[in-house]
Order: sequence, then structure tokens, then C-alpha cells
Amino acid sequence: MAVSALPARDAPLATSTRTVSRRRAVRRFKLTLLLPLIGLFLFLLTPVLLLQLYFSVHQWTVYLSSWWDADYVGLDLFRDVLTDPRFGWAVVRSLAFATGSTIGCFVFGFLLAYLMYKPFHGQAIYYVIFILPMLTVPVVVAYTAEMLLYQNGPINDVISILLGVDFKPSWLTNPHIALFTVACLEVWNWTPFSFIIMLAGLSAIPKEPIEAAEILGASKWRIFWEVQVPLLRPVILLALVLRFLEAMAEFPKTWALFQGGPGSATETLPVYIFMTTWQYFEISKGAAMSYIVMLLMIVIVLVAIQLLRREKRSLDAMYEQGAKETEA
Amino acid sequence: MAMTKTQRRRLSSTVRYVILTGWALMAAFPIYWMVATSFKPDTQWFSWPPVYFPHPPTLANYMNVWFGAEQYAQTQYAISSQKPFVSLWNSTVIASTSTFLSVLFGSILAYGVSRYRILSEARMFQLLMLRMIPPIVVVAPLSLYYSALGLLDTRIGLIMVYFLTTLPYAVWMTKSFIDEVPLEVEQAAEILGASRWRTIFEVVLPLIRSGLVATFLFILILTWSEYLLALILTKTQVSTLPIELSKYQGSTEGRVYGRQAALAVGITIPLMIVGLIIRKHLARGFSFGMVRR
Repeated sequence: MAVSALPARDAPLATSTRTVSRRRAVRRFKLTLLLPLIGLFLFLLTPVLLLQLYFSVHQWTVYLSSWWDADYVGLDLFRDVLTDPRFGWAVVRSLAFATGSTIGCFVFGFLLAYLMYKPFHGQAIYYVIFILPMLTVPVVVAYTAEMLLYQNGPINDVISILLGVDFKPSWLTNPHIALFTVACLEVWNWTPFSFIIMLAGLSAIPKEPIEAAEILGASKWRIFWEVQVPLLRPVILLALVLRFLEAMAEFPKTWALFQGGPGSATETLPVYIFMTTWQYFEISKGAAMSYIVMLLMIVIVLVAIQLLRREKRSLDAMYEQGAKETEA
Repeated sequence: MAMTKTQRRRLSSTVRYVILTGWALMAAFPIYWMVATSFKPDTQWFSWPPVYFPHPPTLANYMNVWFGAEQYAQTQYAISSQKPFVSLWNSTVIASTSTFLSVLFGSILAYGVSRYRILSEARMFQLLMLRMIPPIVVVAPLSLYYSALGLLDTRIGLIMVYFLTTLPYAVWMTKSFIDEVPLEVEQAAEILGASRWRTIFEVVLPLIRSGLVATFLFILILTWSEYLLALILTKTQVSTLPIELSKYQGSTEGRVYGRQAALAVGITIPLMIVGLIIRKHLARGFSFGMVRR
């Protein structure tokens, strides 16, 4: 791996003034490289997070005069949010939506990738068609879904013709299936993502262990479960984690298609925060909610990152060992 | 069950084609429907039974949406019918500028990480958190902060947020390319007396040119289709294409599918072209070093 630092990491202790000045120059150079990132954090992220913190402990709505005069209410807002059943339901909906769509994307993505990772006739064309949904703007997905899913619409019509029965669920107006509809759209939209990652992962598996297993007479089934899946663990984890996190944040489709309705059937966390802040103008409650959601997400992300780092490290170690063996 | 090996292979090949073709139809049908609807006259947008092939196909939707060619008085939605080109321009400027900045600074950072380890592995993963926290949780204070700075409803404001939110992807993706550049090249440049900055801009970055293009286009996809931040941080002066499309919905109760579809096709086509150009590199953008080549 050609990632060792350009100036030798275990450089001998600086003895001459020349090495000292060189080291200083390197340090200054490193700092310059980091400046844009530090600038962004100081200028954009820090003030925003501080403002958010301010609002979450001060009662303010846009009807009040100026936000800096708002009353300090301590943790009242957090208590309000945590005892708000609507918020609880939003959490449940978001988790259900994210879990369901993640599993959907993964199952279909993996299946397609498994069928496609070996070259066959027409592979390139299938690949192009399969990634198209991902290249559709989410808002466009929402409006196209509206054109397709009304009760007498083409989707129901096609399914009715194919199955030979009168198939007419109201995808867009039935509160019992509205969230499922959004989840289906999410799966349609983002299966290509899982597919691409899994395809890359499957093609990157070295051939030797599979060939060795074949020679030993292992069945395809056993090779799949005992050779390929273990080698794919990092990629599988990545596909699941990223998809789950993105699905937790999904807003454009849910909002453009349903605005939280019918009833409150599609009121996921992003939608509920959006409504609280921009429709009821309860900025402070929205801020408290945002902080709770942010903490929830940070916990999930930290766990995910821990898992990802562990997998990446074992992957790196495996490949470095492999490189050493081929060198020897 | 006596099946020869060839028979079995032929069967599994058929099964594969059936499944793949089935999914391909499912993937393509909504896109086909969008395109078909954009060519339909208004009686066929919402008809029973559904009209699968526009007959006769018409360009009226495009003319109306993009050029405002139809009579204005008849339709309420014609109010916004002159905006798309303005929004197209805004989208283009905002997406390409923020993407350019993101790739530029991202690649410099990635160089630093790859060669000088300016960010530890833990920091690199924390950088990813920027991307993984849902934007909805910071967008309210951000809009207040922006209005205090006078950045609300400006292109620069959106460009800065997009820059920040896409930077992690830019760093991770360009790093995977920079890691593959052999150190010897840089050492040679150093011996020839090139400064560190010249080494970056005249040796390393040109070497990963195709990687930079792939990263650029990858991030362009994200910024081009962004919705939530654009919805809240812009009001009237600056509106991007996804917002323009959602206005078609908000301003009328009636169904104007054909018009929406004509606009949607315009939004989607650039993205699909870009995506198809870089289709081989998409995996790299998403896999954060988890897939080896």
C-alpha cells in the first residue's frame, strides 16, 4: 500500500537546523491543507449548532418579536417533546420505514448483483437500466409516482392484467398503506445503490478461495454461505448502514407526495420536524426535537462507524497479508 | 431428476434472464411513464383506461412549461411558466460551483490525508458523520443564521451548504484515487525542485484526472437533486429545478401531469447523462474504501 507519509514517519531526531526548519515547513503545510475544513466548521457548523442549542432551551416562535429576548425555559421543551405521542409515533414510523426499505433495497440489490457479477450476454445493458432509478431526482420520483399510482392508474392496471384479478389498492389515499407506498418508492429509488456496492464487492472477491472450494466439491450453496458471504461482510455492512441512515433522513419523496398525510400516516421524523418548524412555527420545539433526533442519530452513527472501522481494518490487514504473501 | 450439466446450466441461465428482465421492466417503467406522459395531450394524463402510448404525441407540454407558449389566461399554472430557464441556470450555477469547490478542497484534503495523515482514520470516519446526520435537524437555525448574514435566498448561501455537505464524499472518493498514485512520482518532482503545492497541482491532480471527473460528476448528482435545503434556504430570488417542480404541485389543485412530466424530464435528463458517463466509478463514490480493486 502506497499510503506511507511522504516525509518518513520515523524520521531521525532533528539535529541540524535544516531538518528543524523542514519539519516546521511540513507542519505549516499540513495546517494550510486543513484550513478550509477548520474554516467551514468555525464559520458554518459551530454557529448553527450553538443557535440550535439556544433555541432548544428558550421558548420562541416567529410571532414573538426578536429571538434574542426569548424566555429561558430550561429543559421544558425536551420534556414536551419526549411526552408528545406524535413524536413517539414519528420515531416508530421512521424506524419502521428505514428498516423496511433498507432490507428491501438490500435483498433486491444483492439478488441482482449476485446474478450479474459474472460476465454474460447483455450485462452492460442490464447494468445501465438498473442504475437509472438512482439517477432520478427524488422529487421527480414522487410526482411520477403520483402519475402512476392513482387508483385507476397504470400500475394497478398492469398488475390487474398480469394477475387477471381486479387489483385496486389506493396507494395514495389509504392511511394503512401510505407509508408502505413511500417505502416501495424508496426501494425502487435506491436499490441501484445497494446493487452497485454489492456488485463491486462480489467482483472484488479473489477467485482462489472459490476455485479451491469448487475443487473440493463444495456446492454453490455452501460456497455462497461459507466463502462469499464472510468475505463480503464489510460491504454488506456498508450497504446496510448507509441505506439505513439515508432512509432515516428521507424527506423529499415523503413530503412531495404526502405532506405527512393521509391523516398522519407518513409523518416520519423529518416530516414532523419540518411541520413543527415551518408550518406551526414552533421553532423552539422543533429545535428540541432536532437535538433529540441528532443525539439518536449520533448514537446510531457512532455504533455504525465503530463496526465499519473494525471491518475496514480487518479487510486492510487481510489484503496487506495477501500482498506480502505474493511478494514472498 | 436426471438433468445433464448443460441442461442445468441452460435452465439457470434462463432463470437469470427472467429475473433480470423482470426487474429491468420495473426499473424502466416509471421512467418510461414519465417520458410518455410528457408527450401526452391533456385528455390522456389521467384517463381510464390508462393510455400507454401517447397518441398523437404532442410537444405542447414542453412548449408550455419551458417556453410559456400557450395562452396564459386559461391556466393558473402558467404563472410559473417562464421560470424554468431561470431555475435551470440557478441549478447549474449552484450545483457546478459547489461541486467544483467540494472536489477542489476535497482533493487537497485527501492528498493531505493520504500523504501526511492530517486526519487520522477516526477523524475520517467522523467526517462522514457530517453526511450522515439528517439535514433537517440543522436547517432551522441555519436559515436564521443565514438571514442574519444576508445569505438567505442567495446562490452563495446554497453553494456553501452544499459544499459542506458533499465535502466528506469528495475527500473519501478522491483519496481512493490518490492512494493509487505511486510515491516515486512525487519524489521525482520534489528532486526536480517542485514546491509542495506545485507537486499537488501539477503532478498529483493531473495524474488522477479521470478520478476527479468521476468525483465531480458523482457529487453533481447529489447537489443537482437536493431538495430540503433548497426548499428552506431559498424563497423567491433563487429557486432550483426540484423546487420549481414542487411549485407546480403547490400552486394548483388540479392535476397537471403532462406539464410536470415535461419539467421532470428536463430535470432528469442531465442527471442521467452524467450518471451514465461515470457509471463505472459509482461504486467508488459509495464504498468508502470498503471495496478493493
